[in-house]
Amino acid sequence: MQCLFIWIVSCSAAHAFTVRNEIRFRNSARAASTATASLGERTRGDFPILQRTVTDQETPVIYLDSGATSQKPQEVLDVLQSYYERTNSNVHRGAHTLSREATSAYEAARDKVAHFVHAFSRNEIVFTSGATEAINLVAQSYGRANLVAGDEIVLTVAEHHANFVPWQLLAQEKNLKLKFVHLDPATGGIDVNELEGYLNEKTKIVAFQHVSNVLACINPVKEIVQKVRSHAPNAAIVLDACQSLPHMVVDVQDLGVDFLAASGHKMCGPTGIGFLWGKEQLLNEMPPWKSGGEMIDQVTLESVTFQAAPGRFEAGTPAIAQAIGLGAAIDYLQKIGMKNIELYEHELAEYLYEQLQTVPGLTLLGPTDPKKRAALCAFYHESIHPSDLSTFLDMDGIAVRAGHHCCQPLHAELGIPHSARASCYFYNTKEDIDALIASLKRTVDFFAGLNNAADEADDDFVPFI
Amino acid sequence: MLSILTTRVASRNVASPVGMAAARLIRRGYHENIVEHYENPRNVGSLDKNDKSVGTGLVGAPACGDVMKLQIKVDENGIITESKFKTFGCGSAIASSSVATEWVKGKSVDEVLSIKNSDIASHLKLPPVKLHCSMLAEDAIKAAVKDWKEKSAAGVKVDVKQEKVAA
Repeated sequence: MQCLFIWIVSCSAAHAFTVRNEIRFRNSARAASTATASLGERTRGDFPILQRTVTDQETPVIYLDSGATSQKPQEVLDVLQSYYERTNSNVHRGAHTLSREATSAYEAARDKVAHFVHAFSRNEIVFTSGATEAINLVAQSYGRANLVAGDEIVLTVAEHHANFVPWQLLAQEKNLKLKFVHLDPATGGIDVNELEGYLNEKTKIVAFQHVSNVLACINPVKEIVQKVRSHAPNAAIVLDACQSLPHMVVDVQDLGVDFLAASGHKMCGPTGIGFLWGKEQLLNEMPPWKSGGEMIDQVTLESVTFQAAPGRFEAGTPAIAQAIGLGAAIDYLQKIGMKNIELYEHELAEYLYEQLQTVPGLTLLGPTDPKKRAALCAFYHESIHPSDLSTFLDMDGIAVRAGHHCCQPLHAELGIPHSARASCYFYNTKEDIDALIASLKRTVDFFAGLNNAADEADDDFVPFI
Repeated sequence: MLSILTTRVASRNVASPVGMAAARLIRRGYHENIVEHYENPRNVGSLDKNDKSVGTGLVGAPACGDVMKLQIKVDENGIITESKFKTFGCGSAIASSSVATEWVKGKSVDEVLSIKNSDIASHLKLPPVKLHCSMLAEDAIKAAVKDWKEKSAAGVKVDVKQEKVAA
């Protein structure tokens, strides 16, 4: 019995000893690399969720799904908590101190966003629940008021459904013509020449994404804007900046677009917030969209008048905490510096693309020049279902996405039903990518060792796409 | 090969760097039950969907783009004598529908409606993220039964309940 007791004590001591050693090892490894620590290594400690484990792993989750939503630094979480603990009050027209403070914080967030995108004026920022709502706003307000039967909308086949479906519905409603720009095999991005060929005086909307959430291509916005201004003088240009704004400097004055939609939750902000940037003159000519309180000027039994932009498009109590949280996220990002983020993510983009090429059987989507890619990569395997890939990665504590990534037309264009996608943000490291590659290789080996019953050709069995 | 699937790393409780590396190296992978159905799926194929005794369930999961077709052949007593499936999807989806075709055989069309996705999932030891695949299989069974019932109502008379009372 005494021997057993001693054995147990020595085992737990040994365990404690090894645990301490392991912590020391990790800390010393971190200390050793501080001198040349990457942006990912320096920032990941700011994100509490990146310390948690999943699927009985011993090391923290490796989050490679920032294209779907980003993680939030403690600073942003503190601001959200602090707002509700100390400031929460309804905004605008409040008669007391709390309301004044809340209003001030909310409008300060608007200023931060305006400054972040280099807007001409703060009145050009309309807070929405996200980019999807922002694009719907343009389609339903600007679109309904300005487009007539026979007018044309130019989109690309690579658009996210948020920048696709609102235009489809508008086209159905108003009997408009939709034109789709296809991919250019040479660049892996959209075919800018084809786009130019579609432009004429009946073109009223040209809507496209800055960065593709599947292809990782970075579209030449200024070049496209210049073509549109030359050949389609009546067209408003709508830019989906969801995958660009969080990762690089986006300057609306420099780009020259008319509208820009972005998601707050993809740039370290909370969920439920995004914004539409629009040229002030355009916004002030647009009719209200959602209506109710806040956006009105005068209401009588018989009539109603409306605020100028941006208030006109912000009906009801706003997502106050979330907007303030987005402001805090912008502060956080700007402390790092968007240029630094962009440069670091170029490194990640190249590394990710090059490393994925070492996994047997994978086909990678998008431009083949890694220098022209954003830090994400969608891919599929010749025989393994993307959902099996993502499940096995999940079992290794690695989070990726599988499916059509809200881009069904793009997948149809590429001739595949779905794909898997790893998307990075500045808190990822090359080690994260190494882990992804190792896990993918093991998964490929696992399935290679299986004898899968061959698919019988069956002409009437067509997969849903 | 299969032993790798079920091996639990002895060193999992050791938090040393070597232990961590070892924990990463050992694959958990899919449980051997899933692998078995993935390598040797049961009853792959098609029945004639125009046959009055055949019920066809075609279900899809638009979120992952998967499709399952599950067919049953029902005799005059309302008992399923044959079942075939074709699934376009991941290993868990294939395994779930393969299990479904095995489980429906020999049962009555009403009995199979009580097959639950949780039974399929626990039999296969599906990973939590794959539970929706077993749900799709449950839906496929129900859709096949519904299709057969509708076709029967239109022509062939089979009254399962009366048969049971008589017996």
